[in-house]
Amino acid sequence: MASVTIRNVEKSFGAMKVIHGVDIDVQDHEFVVLVGPSGCGKSTLLRMIAGLETISGGEIVIGDKVVNDVPPRDRDIAMVFQNYALYPHMSIFDNMGFSLKLRKRPKAEIEAKVKDAADILNLTSYLDRSPAQLSGGQRQRVAMGRALVRDAQVFLFDEPLSNLDAKLRVVMRTEIKALHQRLKTTSVYVTHDQIEAMTMADRIVVMNAGRVEQVGAPLELYDSPANLFVAGFLGSPSMNFIEGRYLRDGDTAQVICANGTALPAPVVSSAWNEKQVVLGVRPEHMHLADGGEGAAATVDVVEPTGANIEVLADLAGERVCAVFSERHPFRPGEKIELGWDLNKVHLFDPDSGNRI
Amino acid sequence: MSSKLKKSLIYWAILSPLMVVILFPFAVMFVTAVRPRDELFVFPPRWGFSEFRWGNFAEMWVKTNFGEALFNSLYVSVLSTALALALSIPAAYALSRYRFRGKGAYRTFLLMTQMMSPIVLVLGLFRLMVALGMVNNLNSLVLTYAAFNMAFTIWMLQSYFSTIPRDLEEAAWIDGASHFTSLTRIFLPLAVPAMAVTGIFSFINGWNEFVLALTMIRSSDDFTLPVQIYSQVAGRFQVEWHHVMAGTVLATVPVAIVFSWLQKYLIRGMALGAVK
Repeated sequence: MASVTIRNVEKSFGAMKVIHGVDIDVQDHEFVVLVGPSGCGKSTLLRMIAGLETISGGEIVIGDKVVNDVPPRDRDIAMVFQNYALYPHMSIFDNMGFSLKLRKRPKAEIEAKVKDAADILNLTSYLDRSPAQLSGGQRQRVAMGRALVRDAQVFLFDEPLSNLDAKLRVVMRTEIKALHQRLKTTSVYVTHDQIEAMTMADRIVVMNAGRVEQVGAPLELYDSPANLFVAGFLGSPSMNFIEGRYLRDGDTAQVICANGTALPAPVVSSAWNEKQVVLGVRPEHMHLADGGEGAAATVDVVEPTGANIEVLADLAGERVCAVFSERHPFRPGEKIELGWDLNKVHLFDPDSGNRI
Repeated sequence: MSSKLKKSLIYWAILSPLMVVILFPFAVMFVTAVRPRDELFVFPPRWGFSEFRWGNFAEMWVKTNFGEALFNSLYVSVLSTALALALSIPAAYALSRYRFRGKGAYRTFLLMTQMMSPIVLVLGLFRLMVALGMVNNLNSLVLTYAAFNMAFTIWMLQSYFSTIPRDLEEAAWIDGASHFTSLTRIFLPLAVPAMAVTGIFSFINGWNEFVLALTMIRSSDDFTLPVQIYSQVAGRFQVEWHHVMAGTVLATVPVAIVFSWLQKYLIRGMALGAVK
């Protein structure tokens, strides 16, 4: 097992630069998730670690070896692909044992290792079948098994769960996490699903447009997002953003919206007085207020999810979402008053996007 | 009567004139091939005959030197197919896997060569073979057939190769395979159906080709089947039609059967290129 260090890595396809100087340190035994919207460069970065894409600039180090010019087969990595990439003309046993066979390991060793991996993944009774005879979840496990038998230094996962149905995805998510807790293999996992990122990662790397926006533990990113992008990307339903003018008056502060509504805001440096800011409030941090401490809102749509009730409301001319665990009997058109915990809301600079 | 049955009966009724047109020459060929010689020209012509004579085939085999022509045809078709495949597989692989300058132009070029009739090029090809000293040599046919088939085989193989996920090869590289190993252990085994179908198509093209064979081959020892059969008709005082037809049956029917069996794969292969 080994660490992975990415130093100022760049990637261009012709004149188009898709990754602009990325730095990431993946510690030994760590499970790091690269997350971001489609086209943010996360898969390209993973493929660069694997050696499937060339590196246009910077360095990638696995263990203590710079691997920029090392072909994939000599990097000692294992990868799980989005579409599993099982060899369709080989049995499950041969699929899992292929890498050992290429390394000319003795037959007995191959058999023992494949059996071990199959045991861990509950695949023992499928070893003679071909990939076409397995379900999506089983194929996914075979792809994992192929990585397991290798004892590779690093596991790479390229959106491995996105082809599975919602229920199976949750099951496999837990399985992968449990497996990592047991084997402690250094892992880099790419996904566009922020829930997968939050639930699985030791650390999350949020990427956008070829740049790293923020790196940190899941809850750290959730509670203290560095900027508007991270704040809006993590969390579902996502954070509400309301723009307005910041007004500080001693120990209290307000954000005055375009239509004149005053919203309670946290106290920050008075340098921001009279300046435009963005107020960010997570839906679950909203509550029903009374006595004028919050702001008036009109209910638009009510969406009960079972565990919660999600209310989409019009607040100061903006559509906001609030989540309640109580069973409030809201009706569309109803006037309510929404308040929020000032310790949990954020202010952002609308120009740079950074948190104030 | 169920509506499905009704529908298919109507379709068959509409198609039947076409079937008659297609099957008529085969029927004439077959009844001519198996009737006695003195019943060839009766008036009015009739389908029936007094005696079913398989012996015509044996006679024809000896008299028309059929065995040698059959061997020549096999030689030319097999070798030209092997050559075309050997050169097309790497070309198709490169077209489906790599980005390179002029790729689009090369594909258009391949397509355009298909728009030209070989007959237009016969004279030029003949002079080329004269210059190479290969006139009256079966290998001249091997070369030209392979060249003519390559555009088609590259095109077909490429569209099939593009349906084999690149991830499979990448997975093999990560598993520790070299490019060559991933090609031979992963990629080519998966491409076998496409190679078989294009191979057989190329084989049939070589088997049926007439104009080039007539042009390049001078001596009757080296005639391929179409030319050999043709030589039984052209420039003769007396044409042994029952022998000609027996030869034609032997030359066409096996290939027609193979072709009709394979056509579903061919159509699938062509459709692959269409929707990708």
